[in-house]
Amino acid sequence: MALIDVRHITKTYNSTAVPVHALRDVNVHFEKKEFTAIVGPSGSGKTTLLNILGGLDAPTSGEVLIGGQNITGMKESALVEFRLRHIGFVFQAYNLIPVLTAIENVEFIMLLQGVGKKERHERARTLLADVGLADRLDSRPSQLSGGQQQRVAVARALASRPRFVLADEPTANLDSESTTSLLDMMEEMNAKYEMTFIFSTHDARVIERAHRVITLEDGRFQEDKQ
Amino acid sequence: MLFLLAWRNVWRNVKRSTIIIVSIALGLAGGLFAGAVMMGMGESMINSAIDRNLGHLQIHSPAYRRDALVSNYIRSPQKVLSLLDTLGSVKAYSARTLLEGMASSANSSYGVTITGVDPERERETTALVSMLVAGNFLADKYRTQAVIGKKLAERLGLKLKSKIILTFQDRSGEIVYMAARIVGLFKTESTAFDEMTVFVRQKDVTRLLGARKPLIHEIAIRLKNSSTLPATKTRLASGFSDLKVEEWREIAPELAFMSTSVESFTYLFVAIIIFALIFGITNTMLMAVMERIHELGILMAVGMKRGRVFIMILMETLLLSFVGGMLGMLIGGAAIAWFNHFGIDLSAFAQGLEGFGSGTTLYPYLPGVMYAALTVMIVVAANISALMPAWKAVRLKPAQAVRVY
Repeated sequence: MALIDVRHITKTYNSTAVPVHALRDVNVHFEKKEFTAIVGPSGSGKTTLLNILGGLDAPTSGEVLIGGQNITGMKESALVEFRLRHIGFVFQAYNLIPVLTAIENVEFIMLLQGVGKKERHERARTLLADVGLADRLDSRPSQLSGGQQQRVAVARALASRPRFVLADEPTANLDSESTTSLLDMMEEMNAKYEMTFIFSTHDARVIERAHRVITLEDGRFQEDKQ
Repeated sequence: MLFLLAWRNVWRNVKRSTIIIVSIALGLAGGLFAGAVMMGMGESMINSAIDRNLGHLQIHSPAYRRDALVSNYIRSPQKVLSLLDTLGSVKAYSARTLLEGMASSANSSYGVTITGVDPERERETTALVSMLVAGNFLADKYRTQAVIGKKLAERLGLKLKSKIILTFQDRSGEIVYMAARIVGLFKTESTAFDEMTVFVRQKDVTRLLGARKPLIHEIAIRLKNSSTLPATKTRLASGFSDLKVEEWREIAPELAFMSTSVESFTYLFVAIIIFALIFGITNTMLMAVMERIHELGILMAVGMKRGRVFIMILMETLLLSFVGGMLGMLIGGAAIAWFNHFGIDLSAFAQGLEGFGSGTTLYPYLPGVMYAALTVMIVVAANISALMPAWKAVRLKPAQAVRVY
């Protein structure tokens, strides 16, 4: 059974006078331990697909099965719980809660899961050490560089022990050095925790490092390159 | 951690939070102080009336309360006075003879209540002696003597040591004249009392009324502590079912009404201030939510339920209001305590205040229960203020909030 099974997904936005077809009959599946990039030009439907995979948005038609469980018909409250338990998120920028320290940001997700104080503190420390920020536990986001903030975001995404991590253009605001460093770290996490990473990106540096590249264009599935 | 998050969120925009906290604090402190001044004025009027002549409790014959006739006196006052002598809660009492009559001088006459008292008892029961502005209180020095209000003296064109003619009915309805020397002039906080009350020695009127013993129409009782009022009243009422035992609220219902009104007005006054503050708090919190749409979207995306987001915004608003509210209570409470100790000198408005029966030095005060009630009011107001911003926050769509903002 595939970890994620996307079946005949279409997404049409009707908020404007002319309907916008963001996704058109997309079929794709993802396996465990994948390190996959979804690429395509702006407006190709990358983020829409990622949002639907993460249960942040509902498709107009089609269905998404995660571990065999169909999430497309789920109620909002059930979806929030599902996201909390099974999906890790890394966003493009301003990912972290600015008033919490690095370790508090990582702990926060576990707090929502109901993990005990001692355990969540230990896990947060370990994860931040894994992403190379053992010495910045008590730094606020404003005291960290963009690359360091994204590392904390990855640690937070992993903290809930999800089935997979969705990252929406995680390197868009990073310089080359930070991008390389972040990708090294994510690959390491992919190997160490056997964690599935799915990125949306049009950053060539990320595409180079991806183990699988799925190309979208005008909302249509174009290419799937291993 | 939700509390910690809410607390830190409050302080992420220090200037804005400070402005709204100071607004709440000053608004509330002003409201509390104004309320305390009103309460103080009401209290002053009540205390003045109790000190002047009311006492805490009064006993009359029920017939006298219906019709203030000479013949409606208490038939066995000695039994009541004997019991009063044994009650530990009673500080002093004065058994009075009350006669509705006329006070006259060569120039004019005026309707008055002639109050026959035992000078020593009266001295212990009321604070009238301290309100004398000329002369002395009743004594055994002259044959017949009177103490009248300064206002009445002015109205009748009389001075200290002048002779005043008092006219009243005896038990058989015959008109009796009494010439008395004015030995003292008093000035209380009540113009009406000063104009309409004449004090004379009880033994002088008893003789003129043709009675062997004083006719007691009223027993005014002063308690050591006003908190013992209900128990003392019950004790006396059960002992003398044929008499009317009343507390000051019943004897002077206008004072009781005023006391309740002042309290209600204070609540209303502060409620209006808090209502106005609701808009300020709502505005601040709406701004705080609008600024953080992206962040709130992320929180909801990663798994924070809408209920928790709602609680977080509610908590932020409560904290903001709580800090402002506590600061306001502290400032207001300190100002009230200061002026309660030193008083506010309003002698410039003495004439107007005397018309109300209030003293010229005000001692603002606010009962503890009112502070508690106001805390509840602030919490309720804060919750109301939080509703719109919190509702706005939970209606966000995470995907849109993260992407667009």
